[in-house]
Amino acid sequence: MSFLDSIAAGLSLVGNFEAFAALFVGVLIGTIAGAIPGMSATMAVALTLPFTFAMEAVPAILLLLGVYKGGIFGGCIPAILIKTPGTPASSATVLDGYPMAEKGQAGKALGMALWASCTADLISNLSLILFAGWLASFALNFGPPEFFTLILFSLTIIAGVSGNSLLKGALSAMLGLLLATVGLDLVYGTNRLTFGDPNLMGGLNFIAVLIGLFAMPEVMSMVWDPKPHEGKARGLGSDSVTFGEYKRCFRTIVRGSFIGVFLGSIPGIGAAPAAFLSYSEARRKSPNKANFGKGEVEGVAASEAGNNGVAGATLIPLLALGVPGDVITAIIIGAFMIHGLQPGPMMFVLNKDLIYGLFIGLIVSSFFLFFIGSLAIRLFKYVADIPRGVLFPGVLVLCIYGVFAVNNNIFDVGVMFVMGWVGYVMLRNDIPAAPFLIAFILGPLLENNFRQAMLMSGNSPEILFRGPITWFFWFLTLLTVAAIIRAGIRATRSMRSKPGAG
Amino acid sequence: MQRIKRQSLIGIASIIVAAVLMFAIIPTWVSSPSNVRNIVLSPLFWPYILSGLTVLIGLGLVVTGFFTTDPVEPEQPAISGGYGRLGILAAIMTLTMFALPRLGMVWTSMLIFAATAFLIRTSHPRAAIICAITVPLVLYGFFAHVASVAIPQGNYVRLP
Repeated sequence: MSFLDSIAAGLSLVGNFEAFAALFVGVLIGTIAGAIPGMSATMAVALTLPFTFAMEAVPAILLLLGVYKGGIFGGCIPAILIKTPGTPASSATVLDGYPMAEKGQAGKALGMALWASCTADLISNLSLILFAGWLASFALNFGPPEFFTLILFSLTIIAGVSGNSLLKGALSAMLGLLLATVGLDLVYGTNRLTFGDPNLMGGLNFIAVLIGLFAMPEVMSMVWDPKPHEGKARGLGSDSVTFGEYKRCFRTIVRGSFIGVFLGSIPGIGAAPAAFLSYSEARRKSPNKANFGKGEVEGVAASEAGNNGVAGATLIPLLALGVPGDVITAIIIGAFMIHGLQPGPMMFVLNKDLIYGLFIGLIVSSFFLFFIGSLAIRLFKYVADIPRGVLFPGVLVLCIYGVFAVNNNIFDVGVMFVMGWVGYVMLRNDIPAAPFLIAFILGPLLENNFRQAMLMSGNSPEILFRGPITWFFWFLTLLTVAAIIRAGIRATRSMRSKPGAG
Repeated sequence: MQRIKRQSLIGIASIIVAAVLMFAIIPTWVSSPSNVRNIVLSPLFWPYILSGLTVLIGLGLVVTGFFTTDPVEPEQPAISGGYGRLGILAAIMTLTMFALPRLGMVWTSMLIFAATAFLIRTSHPRAAIICAITVPLVLYGFFAHVASVAIPQGNYVRLP
């Protein structure tokens, strides 16, 4: 199938009202959710997932991708207007966005955030289209030992970089892997940790675990400390961004986009570090570096380009290798599975039309984002005024309906509640939840590939070192562990050297 | 030092959980066929390996918790009535599990919504009551009539 044939096949899947409407609604929901302080893009995608069960695969996935992209952009609106990032990825936007709002230039800051976000989103989507296919064709040579080492590497990096401590990240991943062993054994079909309960034979419901870990702790945090609204929304001001300013910041935007693409394609890093790295690079290279932190429009452009550059790139490992790069792509992999699809290299062979359909949808999403973003900037006040005392009980009820709808099983609601408390305890103890969820998803794959490799080799572990690909991933795993340990030791030393430490 | 102690406590808790898994739960609740020739392929292998690794990580947390001299950030101040509210939320969740099959999802959700809204001291009680009634009904409409999900109706009042 030629490139043009693939595009035509993709277009035949997405070239209908339902698909584009789903994408549009997704971007709209994401932008609104991202703009509500306390709701994150992750929570928005998780809560939207149950609504996609009754949909066809392509509109369902486009809806979720739209929520993802909208959510990442939407976070910048409260970051600029009320100094409260809607999502962690928008934290860097506060640095210059809010000082601009204080100077009466909120409209300009939001305008630049929108232009930078859409440009970065487009660059990220194009990178996805360029690299995912190439990576997938390379990954077609992978067998069980290669997949085992790849997943091991992904888990190592996710556990290492998701929180402040490698050990806590590793503990979180280990708990996720342990939880993934619940259910019938993959090879022999015997019971594992089912405690005689037939509800556990199929393993724990992924959606219940996911919503429990990511949405419920937010409700619990609100119950622990019921806070009213934070901050006061500022007016947009009369200034708006000009083409000259966009042109001046274009280089920064492109640089930030590529930083986002690079960091986004590595599992586990996420949008917030990309935004901060892009911001610091922009400040280092800018002739206006003295203005950074005091309301420099280039700072807003850099941070928004950095975090939006991640959005398309996180789909590279997801689509090409079947490895979710972050929590949101972990949720999206769940949507693929619910619709009977398994992301990975074989998808580029068996479902090429779907892959190209998603690519087309993603490109269109950048334009939808621009349109919806322009409206959202003006209508933010109404979104920000949703009282938290009504929002969070609504989230709780939505979680119950959504989790029940997966299997029509009340047991899953119980699993969600229990996982909610687990997630809350983890939150209170600075144990990152992302490695838990990703390990929970990758656990069966890791074990299955390991056991297949052992069966292939007659139980010889040498097969795990059988060729350059496995060696490459072992090397990367060791390098990651060494780098994280080194960074930890350095951080400890620098803290010790500070006066008053200890 | 509170945070450091907490890290060690997390480590100790992980070791205890892993030990309980290794010595009590896995031997009892993971069944393996008798004809498995190699331990590597046994259904027991993976849970034991993961429990063992959890012990190692727990030890790492204990050691780093006791011996590092990291300056610790101040502990989050205890919020007045925080534990009490969390206890009430836990009770709401437990009651939900009992109420869902008996009262039905819509009526239970209305009660949960209202209870949670007042638990978090909503400053908009009227809006909360209106939403407590409308949100579960709208969700019921979507899931039951659009997504064709059999929402539990309970034993008392059934919705169309």
